[in-house]
Amino acid sequence: MKKALRAIFTQESSFVFSCPAVLWQFVFLYMPFAVLALYSVIDFNEVTGRYFLTAFYYREIFTSLYIQIIFRSFLLAAITAAVCFLIAYPVAYFLALKGSKRFKTFLLFSLIFPSWTSLIVQVYAWFFLLEKNGFISWFLQWTHIISPSFHLLNNYFTIVLGMVSCFLPFMILPIYAVLEKMDKRFLEASADLGADRFETFRRVVFPMSLPGVYAGIMLVFIPSFGEFAIPTLLGGSKYVFWGSVIVDKFLRSRSWRLGAALAIIGIMLPILLMCCVYLGRAIRERYRQRQSKEYTEYLNANKDLWG
Amino acid sequence: MKSIRLERVSKSYDGELIIDNLNLEIKAGDFFALLGPSGCGKTTVLRLIAGLETVDAGRIFLGDQEITHVPIHERKINTVFQQYALFPHLTVFENVAYSLRVRKMAAETINARVAEVLKMVRLSGFEGKYPRSLSGGQQQRVALARALVAEPEVLLLDEPLAALDLKLKEEMLTELNQLQDKLKTTFVYVTHDQFEALTVSDQMAIMNPQGDIEQQGTPKQIYEFPVSRFVANFVGNTNIIEGRLHISDRDYQVEVEGLGMFSVYTPTEKLWMIPGCRLLMSVRPEKVLISKKPREGFSNSLQGKVVDIIYYGRSTQYRVRLKNGQNLIVFEQNEEHFPQESIDWDDEVHVHFQKENVVLLEH
Repeated sequence: MKKALRAIFTQESSFVFSCPAVLWQFVFLYMPFAVLALYSVIDFNEVTGRYFLTAFYYREIFTSLYIQIIFRSFLLAAITAAVCFLIAYPVAYFLALKGSKRFKTFLLFSLIFPSWTSLIVQVYAWFFLLEKNGFISWFLQWTHIISPSFHLLNNYFTIVLGMVSCFLPFMILPIYAVLEKMDKRFLEASADLGADRFETFRRVVFPMSLPGVYAGIMLVFIPSFGEFAIPTLLGGSKYVFWGSVIVDKFLRSRSWRLGAALAIIGIMLPILLMCCVYLGRAIRERYRQRQSKEYTEYLNANKDLWG
Repeated sequence: MKSIRLERVSKSYDGELIIDNLNLEIKAGDFFALLGPSGCGKTTVLRLIAGLETVDAGRIFLGDQEITHVPIHERKINTVFQQYALFPHLTVFENVAYSLRVRKMAAETINARVAEVLKMVRLSGFEGKYPRSLSGGQQQRVALARALVAEPEVLLLDEPLAALDLKLKEEMLTELNQLQDKLKTTFVYVTHDQFEALTVSDQMAIMNPQGDIEQQGTPKQIYEFPVSRFVANFVGNTNIIEGRLHISDRDYQVEVEGLGMFSVYTPTEKLWMIPGCRLLMSVRPEKVLISKKPREGFSNSLQGKVVDIIYYGRSTQYRVRLKNGQNLIVFEQNEEHFPQESIDWDDEVHVHFQKENVVLLEH
């Protein structure tokens, strides 16, 4: 009995335990994804009553405005991630390295608190604050900062504002986690070796926090790439993004095949980006190896150093 | 190579006074060991010298220059940290080059200096490796190289060998000693391990749990002539016997209850040594001879019964119960395979020691 139990817990049989998760992923993610992919390349000929393979919808996307919409969404996601990063890093840094313990807990709580409400509710809150009769509009008009005819809603800035306010915690938390966990002795060692605060930040703190930054960028970029509620509510009909186009294709115009093709391309884009990042890392690693090779050659050329 | 001087330095954390009015002078070029039990504040002293902490009161000098308020990154003092604190995201080369990069030195100079110092700690060829892939001893040497590459006036070592096993520790001690001989940099070595301190240092200071320095001197002075019960007990093993002093015509004797009179000797007379005063005798276990038959030529001979034997390989420790019930610890070198007389548990034995080997301590 004991032996059997131990066998189950060995590495070889660990796949038994991962089965439910894999099965779940397979049924609810990979299979629908495969259906989506099939949908985008197979069409039905009503005359012959036959299914046939086609690249029509992809051609359609690449030769029309759709591809521009995808790139526009990509840009919005990138801007959101960048703005989030710029705001989140100082906040996370302060929280992790400077603030007192009680203050820290309070700040962290107030950061996470808005995420307890649904994203849609958050966006509606912004909507009511920014609309013509909303508090912010009223206040800015009352102080004569904006004219009564000026609209706060339905512009790019407001979309970014909404996106950033909703996704900011997802950037702050991973960076905070990494900085908090970082051994403070590295800072002491750096100072001891002659680095001032700025040099310590540049050479130790920031490089060591990069895993958190990458995680934050992923957590913000991916959902904001497919986000459709925020641009729709805060941007009005003026701005069309990838997410809202897909919603439109599936729910309103009922052109599921075009929607499927749009979804596939949109999903491929971040994956392509990730491949680029990995490629870049591989190249950098090779560059490093070449550098250390050069260094070895330098040593060989200066044999007297070896004695 | 410069000296370090602490003048009336005080430091407290959270209202608790760790260092109170401490004076300490470390000569230039010394290998200085600061020895004390855990939590006595010796690491605090090191952090004050490094600049990782600021003093509440008092002054710190590096050579003739006062550095009390010089920020840490401007002090020409480097530290080897207890757990090394090597930067995990940098290679061995970049770790060692760190202080040179921060000072914006030319790449050529950096290459040459890093190569030189890595060769010195016998790590040439490890430049491209990351700290996590190195063994404890190698990490230790990277930490050493990183601290030495900037050519500090003073090198601080905070329990640098605590994480290494005994064999490696002994090796590293020898290496540290040779390195210091070559560089002549002032080394300040903080440890709670009396063996490390005795082995490695030219000069050492003993800190008591209250954060005061009880004695400062060469390892030999401290081991042979401890000035207090704390020092005698903390550095090495010792037997402490309580008694009352008798002085007759420059002859010192100590009367111990139940054991009679002991002949003792003191190289220097202290103020507290007045006839009739209570005092402590400290006798190192290895200075006591144990035998089954009585021996001639010893100032002090006693009888007792063996209650405990521990075999250490190169020596054997006997615990002998004396007539007054006190236990005396005796070390015997195991010089021969088959000693003339084997001593066993419960054997009646004689123990002898010379009066010159007794150190008198204030009660």
